[in-house]
Order: sequence, then C-alpha cells, then structure tokens
Amino acid sequence: MKSRLGKARLRVPKSAKRGELVEIRTMAEHPMESGFRYNNVGKLIPRHIATEFVCKYNGREVFRAALHPAVSTNPYFLFYLVAEQSGELVFSWADDRGGAVTEVRTISVT
Amino acid sequence: MPSVSRRRALHVLAAGACLLVVRPATATREALVTALRETFGQSLMARERVKLELPLLAESGNVVPVTVSVDSPMTEADHVSAIHLFAERNHLPQVVSVTLGPWNGKAEFKSRIRLAESQQVLAVAVMSDGSLFSDVADVEVTYSSCG
Amino acid sequence: MTHNTIKEAIENVSRREFLVKSTAATGALAIGFQLPGVAVAANSADTAPEVTHWVVIQPDDTVVIRIARSELGQGSFTGLAQLVAEELQCDWSKVQPEYADVNMHIRRNRIFKSMSTGGSRSIRDSNEYIRKAGAAARQMLVSAAASQWGVPADECRAQDSVISHSSGKSTTYGKVAALAATLDIPTDVVLKSPSDWKIAGTSPARFDIPAKTNGSQMYASDVRLPGMLYASVVRSPVFGGTLKSYDESKVLGMRGVKRVVADADWVAVVADNWWRANKALLALPVEWEESENDNVSSDSIMKFLRTGIDATDVPVARKDGDVDAAFADAAKVIEAEYHSGFLNHATMEPQNAVALYADDRLEVWCGTQNGEATIASASETSGIPLENIIVHRMHAGGGFGRRGGHQDYTKQAVKIAMDMPGTPVRLQWSREEDMRQGRYRPVSLVKLRGALDENGNWTAWHVRQADQSIIVTVRPNMIKNGVDPINTRSFADNPYTVANFVDEYAMRNPHVPPGFCRAVAHTNNPFYRECFIDELAHAAGKDPYEFRRPFLQGTKDLPLLDAVARGIGWGKPAKEGVHRGIAVVDSYGSYTAAAVELSVEGGTVIDVHRVVIAIDSGHVVHPDAVKAQMEGGVIWGLSFIMNEEITIENGRVVQGNFTDYPVLKLVHTPKIEPIIMPSGGFWGGVGEPPIGAVIPAIGNALFQATGKRIRSMPLKNHGFSYKT
Repeated sequence: MKSRLGKARLRVPKSAKRGELVEIRTMAEHPMESGFRYNNVGKLIPRHIATEFVCKYNGREVFRAALHPAVSTNPYFLFYLVAEQSGELVFSWADDRGGAVTEVRTISVT
Repeated sequence: MPSVSRRRALHVLAAGACLLVVRPATATREALVTALRETFGQSLMARERVKLELPLLAESGNVVPVTVSVDSPMTEADHVSAIHLFAERNHLPQVVSVTLGPWNGKAEFKSRIRLAESQQVLAVAVMSDGSLFSDVADVEVTYSSCG
Repeated sequence: MTHNTIKEAIENVSRREFLVKSTAATGALAIGFQLPGVAVAANSADTAPEVTHWVVIQPDDTVVIRIARSELGQGSFTGLAQLVAEELQCDWSKVQPEYADVNMHIRRNRIFKSMSTGGSRSIRDSNEYIRKAGAAARQMLVSAAASQWGVPADECRAQDSVISHSSGKSTTYGKVAALAATLDIPTDVVLKSPSDWKIAGTSPARFDIPAKTNGSQMYASDVRLPGMLYASVVRSPVFGGTLKSYDESKVLGMRGVKRVVADADWVAVVADNWWRANKALLALPVEWEESENDNVSSDSIMKFLRTGIDATDVPVARKDGDVDAAFADAAKVIEAEYHSGFLNHATMEPQNAVALYADDRLEVWCGTQNGEATIASASETSGIPLENIIVHRMHAGGGFGRRGGHQDYTKQAVKIAMDMPGTPVRLQWSREEDMRQGRYRPVSLVKLRGALDENGNWTAWHVRQADQSIIVTVRPNMIKNGVDPINTRSFADNPYTVANFVDEYAMRNPHVPPGFCRAVAHTNNPFYRECFIDELAHAAGKDPYEFRRPFLQGTKDLPLLDAVARGIGWGKPAKEGVHRGIAVVDSYGSYTAAAVELSVEGGTVIDVHRVVIAIDSGHVVHPDAVKAQMEGGVIWGLSFIMNEEITIENGRVVQGNFTDYPVLKLVHTPKIEPIIMPSGGFWGGVGEPPIGAVIPAIGNALFQATGKRIRSMPLKNHGFSYKT
C-alpha cells in the first residue's frame, strides 16, 4: 500500500554563534493512522504511521525519535542543538510502508 | 506566566523515593508495567529531575501538547541519553522515545500526542550512567463525557 | 431574589444588567452582580473561609456548598447540596449552593473532580466523596470549637450549625469557620446511614425552581455586557462539509452589521443586535464544498442499515446457550423488524455562548453540562492556557446530553471573540441552526427472532442490531471486537433468564453526527425488546405480564414489574375501550417499569389516560425531584414515541423548528402515577431510567387497542396522534 508521508516543514535558524543553543522545530505531513480507529461499518482502519524521525548534524545523529501510534497526526518535534560548526542539518522521516522524506538545511556558525 | 506543571498531592514523594502510580491494578496498568519492565528491566523509578508538562484537560485527546525537560548539565560525562513517554490507558503504552546526547545542550523536547481517554502519562529519562528518573502527569479528556 | 409577578421581574430588568469590573485580587474580569446559582466572586476567592474546598462558611453562618455538576432542571443543584449538608449537619435554611468555579478547579488541580453531568450520574458518582467532605467539615468545625474551649472534641455535639458542649458552652459554625479552615482535612470520616438522614431523603424547596417559574432565572442567553455584540452562525448544512466561499460585501453595509467571521466549516455575522446579525446571515451569499454526503437521505441510510441486517459475519455482543438448536426445535418462531430514526435534543434554550478575549485572558459564559469540557474547548480553540480562562457556568435551559462533550457553540464563540479583542460577543444559534446542527440520537434497525415451545414457553431469542455508534468517535477504545457496549444495552445486559440468546451488533455509521441524547440507547432498544416480548406472549396466547415473570425470578426488575401491574390494576377488567400495556427496563443503575392505560378513537387518535411508572434507584435524596424526573421522563418518552423525528435529505436535516419537529404539548400530559420504591444498598440514576420503560408500554397498549403491531417510531408516521 502506498505511503502517505508528505512534505516536511522546518523552522531552523540560518546562522548561530559557536556554542549557542538553537531551537529546531520540525513537522512532517502524515495521517498517523493509529490502527485503533473504526470505519463506518465497524472495521478497524489499518495502521499507517511514521515510525522514525532522525536529525543529523554534519553526519552525526543528534536527535532520533521512535514514533508509536499515539503521536498525533503530522508529527511535530521541537528540540535543541548546540551550534558547533557550519554545515548541514539533514532531517529524515520514515514510515511503516517504506515512505521516506528527507530535508536538508545549512547552518552557518561563527 | 507559570507553565502548567502539576503534581498531584498523592504522588508527591521524597526525593529518591520510588514512584508507583496510585491506581488500582487494571489490564492497561499491567500493560504499562510490562512495557516498563521490557524497556528498562524495572518498573519503579525515582520521580525527580524530570518535568513532564501536559495540560490538565484536553478536549478530544487527539492533539495534546507535551513538553518533557530533564535537569541535566548535558555534558559528555553527564547527560540524558533517552527520554521515553508512556500512556497508561492507551491501547499501546508506548508513545514516543527520543534519543539525545550532549550535542543537544538542553534535555528538552516538545511534541503532540494522542490520549485515548483520561489517564496518566509517564516520562522516563535514561541518563548516560544508566540511571533512571521519571515524572507523571494526569490528563482529563473531556470529549468523552456524558452518557 | 424573587419576584411575585412577571411584571415585577420585567421592571427589575435594569437591575439585572451585569456590571463588569476588574478585581485587583484575581487580575481577572469578574461579574460584580450576583446571578442565582453562579459562583460569587467573594466566595470563589482563594481567601474565602473554606472548610474543605466543598464548603465555605461565612461568619453569618451562611453555608455555601460548591456544586461541581450542572443543574439542568433535574434537581442536582439541590440534591448534591442536601448530601453535603446532611453530613455537615448544618442549618439547611442557611445553605446556598453555588457552582464550583472552573478556574479555581483548574488552579487547584481538578480539586472538585468530575464536572460531567450526564448518564444520570451526578448523585450516584459523586455522593460518596461529597458526603465525606461534609463529614470532614463537621469534624473540623467541632475540632476548632473544642480547641477554643480546651475540651475534647468527642464531648462536643454539632447540629443545625450549632456546636455545643455538655458544660453549656455553645457556638455557631460561622464563628469557628475561619479557625476550622486552617485545620488539616481528616480522611477517616464515617458517613451516616441513610436511615438516619434528616435532610437528604426529604424534599426541601429546590433552589432552582422559583426563578424558573417566575421568569427571573438567568441563562447564558440573558447575559448582557457593556459593549457586547451579537453573532449568528451557520455551519455546513451537510455534515462534514467545508466552507467554499462567502461574499461579505453583500452584508457589511447592512444596518448594525460589524463583521463577518469564518472558519473552515462555518461563517458568522456579528452585529449590534442579534436580529440584525441573523438577518444579514440569511442574506449572506455562502457556498459550501460539494461532497458525496450531499446525496445521503433517510432512505439511503435505511438501505445502509439493512446491509448490517443482511451481513454474514457480525460481531457478537452476547451469546448464551445454543440458539440454533433451540430454533430448530421450536414449535413456533416469531420474527420481526423494528426501527427508528434520528432524534434531536431540541433544548428549549438553543445553543449559545458569550465570550470575551482581552489581554491574553478569556472569559466564557454558557450553560454547560461539563465546565471542564467548556474550559478545555476554549483553551484548545484559543491557545490560551487553562489558568487564564474564566468560565461562568449558568443553569442550562435544557441539557439532555447536548451540552456536554460537544462544545461547538463555545468554540465558535471563542473564535469570534478572538477576532474582536476587547469586545464581548454573544453567539446565539437560531432555532433552525440548533435543529440542524444537533448531535442526534442514532438511527437503528433491529431484527428479532423468538422461539416458543409447544407449551408457549419462551425458549430462545436472537437479536441482530444494525445501528450507528456514538462512542466510535467519542471514545473508541470502549469498543471491543466491533461491539459498542452502549448501543447494545437492553439486549446484551437484558435481565431475562432465557437459556438461549444471541445479540449481534453490526455497526453502521452514516455521516450524520451522533450524540448522547437523554436515555441514549434506552430510547429505542427497550421499545424493540419489550414490544417484541409482547409479540411472543401474544403468539403464545399468554398474558404479557405473566409471560415475563418466570424469566425475571430473582432479579431486581421483577418487583418493579409487579408494582406497576398492581398500580394499573392488571388482571382486573379495564373500563370500556381502555387498553393496557406494560414494560420493564433497567438502565443507568436503576430498575424501572411502566404500565399505561389508553384508548384509541377512530383507529388513530390516542388518549393516554394513566401512566404508572415505578423506579428503584437504591437511594432517594429528594423524593419530589425523583417524582419530577419520572414525570418528565414519561413526558419525554411520550413525545419521542409520537412526534419526534429528524429526517435527512440531500445530506442535511430537513426539520428546522418546532413546527416540523413538534414536541409534546401540556394538554397531552396524562395522569402520571410515580411509584418510588428504593430498596437501598446501591445508588442508581434517575434522570434517564423512566424513559426506557414508558415508551414500550405505550407500544404494547397500542397493540391491545388496535390489534396492529407498530414496529417503528414515531407513531405519527403510522397516522397516529394524541387526543387534544
């Protein structure tokens, strides 16, 4: 069955001072169908959820979330990072139907 | 403006004391205890250093904002390596597990979760030395009232 | 505040204009004028002399009892206060109930516990902890007096707000309350036995009745604030539809119109009075997105339900014995299908709310069945934290389940108020909007089969339900294996000890939004069950009352059935042209039965002469209130069975007002004879139970009168009407 993982939305600062704490906000479109909802004839709607969200900073994994059905539709995470070096922030999501979405942002650290 | 962080009188315990939710045993309660044992090898952990923030009331329980923060210097030697969220009465007790490290600088994250009904939510923090700390919060879901 | 005449009440309207003034203490806007039943700011202040958080005792001995649940006309405001006062042993004449303040409740971590008023639960769910509060408060007051006197507390007596000591010392609750308020709340309190009750178990004048009968009762509809604007709203008439477009330029120039506010599925006009707002709303060009639900009709819904009756693999709610074998062996098999459509709460006060947003704070006034649902909805809609929201709970002009979990009017009012900071907005639904945006009693279609042996004994029955689940959206984790435990009530939990029984449940959910409507599944399932049992009795050639009795041996239902049979004179000949019907139903923790006498003229005009209605609710707190609930429940049932039906065409509700959704008229009220027979030892509800019993009793009497078995409601669809 087709994955319904959609677009990602991010709020990432473009620049920061070395050692500064930066706030990262992320969201990906996904119905997060829990598998516990019923359709109109009383049958369970099959589960379809995003299962994993990972953020890498210059290749190092700096945030990982393992998602279960109790995460709300369009999974949202806010977390923090210490700005160390300029480089790439790579955000990836995966779901239980092989869906995968990746977004890249660059950050300039001075 | 203070954030809504509540500690029910029943659960206030001396630092270092063990926490166990004060509810009669139910099937879902057992599912939670089993999940805790499977994840951590134990189901009792000190209720300190972790702050679990949830609204006291949720209308439908579909989108409940949650903030978990842990008192930690987040250094290489002493940091939070993971935070796990559990919901006592959901179909599945596990909600989300987050992996952290000293690179985060602050042991805090926010998300939005689903609660199937009024219940207790539990946050467990795993420290870099393997020690465990926790916090609990109750959320009342009002949409299911009446009938 | 009472008025002897309506004239007096009208002349005093100016006194009822509410003044809004800030109070430095709370930093929140608060009403400066006393509304009957609404929490007074002084009594809500955290510095009020609280002897436990449930009771505030003023120096003049006024006993303010805080009520967490809502008064909907069912008498809980008085009944709950009686239970506290009983244990407190205060002077009842000095008792003033007030709604527990929702904001205080939040700030103190839900200290008043549940505020949910539904399921006939207010007294049975809360009696224990509120009685304990009353008992604890009494102990604290006694301890305070004893400590002042330097005597042991157990040498003191507390009665009627007076504490006395054998030495002759005496004081009043008011004098020691401030000291008592500083003491720890005792947890080991012993409650009085109901046999020792002096206040509970009696029928003191109710706090809500006078104002409701002389026109002075304030509802949320009566709130007027300086600078207030008025809004009327229309939501997508096809349920689940969204707003496509609207052209506000066509109405902004109309007299009094200030603004048009819209959300994903509704649009509202705000004006300087409601009629102007509504007139503009009716003139506003609005387009709604098309959807497949546009084609749904009552007919298509019935076809959809039929797929549930015809389905092969259907979840089983209950299974006893072996129905297949029993039916194979049966001498006679009776089969019948019953059905009924949607019903609306049709509260006399249409849905409405007042909201004011200013300085990151929100204030809401509404009639609600759950103060927590109101504040939670307001918070989620506005993004404002709970502790920055004040909810003024007003007595509701009818609840019946409409004003609980569904806070759509609150959310709309809050959204509009957020759009107009600093301006109080009164959102009032038109009657048409109220009729068309209900949360309806679900549709149902049921097929029943019954087996009789050669002696006419009932050996088996089989029920296949196809109906619309309410909890599937509200609380889906209550559904187990596809079975809705609320909608299977009366079948899955039936008391009849018939050896072979199966109840199957096929969920079929149309797009029409369902809701808990007073008595919920007991508005239809007992009709299907009790009328079908009558069909079995008739097929067996047996008296319907006698037919049931062997299968109710040892149940708490049987004495109720016997009581109404006695009350109606079952077994003795009825007057010429008078026919009887009987039914027994337990629901909401209580046991009820009804027996009716009616005549039918011209084959279609029904004259209900008497309704004997009995209840065993375990305990009775206010006998007159219970009697009123039984009478009201009978009236509710008589209205449902005859007149009321919501039909669907083009995906939307057809009915719009009481002209096409008629409710029972006063002139149609029969002689109602309540029998209150509490057997003690349990706490059952009272608000809903009578309804389940009266509806089938009418159906059964109708068969006796006409020889025609009616298997669907409302009766008007079969050409019947009540005699006027």
